[in-house]
Amino acid sequence: MRLDDYIEFEANERAERRRLAMEKSYAIVDHLESFQHRFDERVQGDSLFGSVSPSIFVGRANYPNVSTGILSPVGFESDAASFETSGAWYDEGVGIEDVFRRRTSLLNSNQPADVKVGADTNVHDAWDGFLGVQREVAIADRPVSVEIGLDGAPEIDFDVGRDDVATPTGPRARAQSADLAENPHVPRPVKKTLEDDDWQAQGAMTYLYRRGFDVYDINSVLSAGALGESASRRLVPTRWSITAVDDTVGQYLRGTVRDAPSVDSVQVWRNEYLGNAFWVILAPGQWEYELVEMKAPGSIWNPDPESGMWLSSDREGFEGRTQYVDETAGAYYAARLGVLEHLSNIGRQAKVLVVRHVSDDYWGPVGVWQVRESVRHAFEGEHGESETFADAVREVSNLLPVSMADLRRKSAMVAGLQTNLTDFGVGSSDDD
Amino acid sequence: MFQAIVSASTLRDALDSVSVLVDECKIRLNEDELAIRAVDPANVGMVDLTLDAAAFESYEADGGVIGVNLSRLEDIAGMANTGDLVHLELDEETRKLHIQIEGLSYTLALIDPDSIRQEPDIPDLDLPATIVVEGTHLDRGIKAADMVSDHIGLRVDEADETFHIEAEGDTDDVDLELGRDDLIDLSAGPADSLFSLDYLKDMNKAIPSDAEVTVELGEEFPVKLHYEFGEGMGHVTYMLAPRIQSD
Repeated sequence: MRLDDYIEFEANERAERRRLAMEKSYAIVDHLESFQHRFDERVQGDSLFGSVSPSIFVGRANYPNVSTGILSPVGFESDAASFETSGAWYDEGVGIEDVFRRRTSLLNSNQPADVKVGADTNVHDAWDGFLGVQREVAIADRPVSVEIGLDGAPEIDFDVGRDDVATPTGPRARAQSADLAENPHVPRPVKKTLEDDDWQAQGAMTYLYRRGFDVYDINSVLSAGALGESASRRLVPTRWSITAVDDTVGQYLRGTVRDAPSVDSVQVWRNEYLGNAFWVILAPGQWEYELVEMKAPGSIWNPDPESGMWLSSDREGFEGRTQYVDETAGAYYAARLGVLEHLSNIGRQAKVLVVRHVSDDYWGPVGVWQVRESVRHAFEGEHGESETFADAVREVSNLLPVSMADLRRKSAMVAGLQTNLTDFGVGSSDDD
Repeated sequence: MFQAIVSASTLRDALDSVSVLVDECKIRLNEDELAIRAVDPANVGMVDLTLDAAAFESYEADGGVIGVNLSRLEDIAGMANTGDLVHLELDEETRKLHIQIEGLSYTLALIDPDSIRQEPDIPDLDLPATIVVEGTHLDRGIKAADMVSDHIGLRVDEADETFHIEAEGDTDDVDLELGRDDLIDLSAGPADSLFSLDYLKDMNKAIPSDAEVTVELGEEFPVKLHYEFGEGMGHVTYMLAPRIQSD
């Protein structure tokens, strides 16, 4: 095909994809209507309904006066666990539409709350009523049977935000009451972090991670204000708590490889999921990490098909970073977690460049779990090796929609890797 | 035994040059000078400082080593006005440093020097180019580079006999060109290296703007920066490892 024909062909392709994406959104709207039917069937008398709740949601609008809710898959109670965002979604291979379907099947029965709950009572002491039930749902390790009294009918407004961290949300309703319909099962380590009100949040999160809890579980415990020093406990908006947990666990893992030997070859790992391709390049040397994102025209954050590739990047050196990232938001911490889990597993440190290519197949933001799981699973199976980091970048860049020159401008690691003085014979004999 | 009186500004200049890299350090109380050598935890930047006995109003020492928390010591020095004198005296018994500033007494608990990272050795790097530049020029180049990027190139053009401070950002470029007339001295040689601005900015903060800075530079090699403070009786050498393209 001639180049100009090809360009036209490509443009048509993009238009077609946009049309399909629109259709997909309509499918979601249909779906919400079916929710209404299911809901009407379930609600008894005075807007009271029973369901099984796998998780909670704390909004961030109007912080610190937030809306805090219990999520329940009305009409799909027997399968409630599958409605909770987790690494299992990746294993199951859910698609973007599946994610939207699941999230929009969850009714968010919520109440307004001050994140500290009250002037005299903090979250720690608020065991009764709606907040108490919400916390039980958050700390339980399986979905909990609840009875919720609603104040009026659910509002069904479907709005696909462009939030890269939290998953999309479904119908919402103001709750008057919530009661437990069973005694929830809470794992012992979670009880321990809940009861120890003299334990800083970061330490408690790390403890749970080391006891085998995944970041998804820790996230709900943190979000419900169920760990940390008693005076500091508060409700944490779901979006913030996701990144706080990724960052905290990442810092812990980075500590585990701080004195570890380096990987001994340049390795390229790749994974692709939900229209997002991830290239992870590991190179010998001490810890240094950068995430470079390229978002195609027509993808969710870069909707104008005529605009160019959208590039963003953030990085850290051996000592980590103290400020929240500027350009890449929660994806930075989620990808870093996936990389550090791998390095901690193999007991090595490395210089790590992660390149995320978001294609225009990514029509709806599903949440940052997608980044975390894609990077975690990138280290399965085969990988490529190359002589030098520069070779690896050059080969990868051939498959990316940006020039090497643009990549060098955007990426500090592509411009040059940080050496240390030891590489030049500065003898500091102890490294501890 | 250690007992000294020093002007607050000289003490602050000395501490600032080290605290940009480390939180705590060993101070060697040699007979004829006070000396600090430290490398940052990532092993990327190093400082070597000496302050001659002549820089003090009075100075008596016999070669001991103390470990200090730098930010604590800086805070105390910050309590003094520029013209004030700071009295320092080591209590060997309690291992505390007594500090007196205009009627204010402060007793600083010291850190066991053995618990502080070992001091680095300075290698004999053969760096082919030497540039002597005013602190203000360096500052200007670093500030401009910081607007577009987080790394910075230092380069000598041998043919034109110019020194360049350069940065490439996402879309914008910066190049500060300094010719022989702008420089105090230039000994040209093959020199072109890239550095992290995080480090260079911090080092630059400690360099007085009226200082003459001697820059020793090579190709993808560490840079050495030398300058003096305290009327020429304080000497600082920084060394910074480059970012390199591995091809």
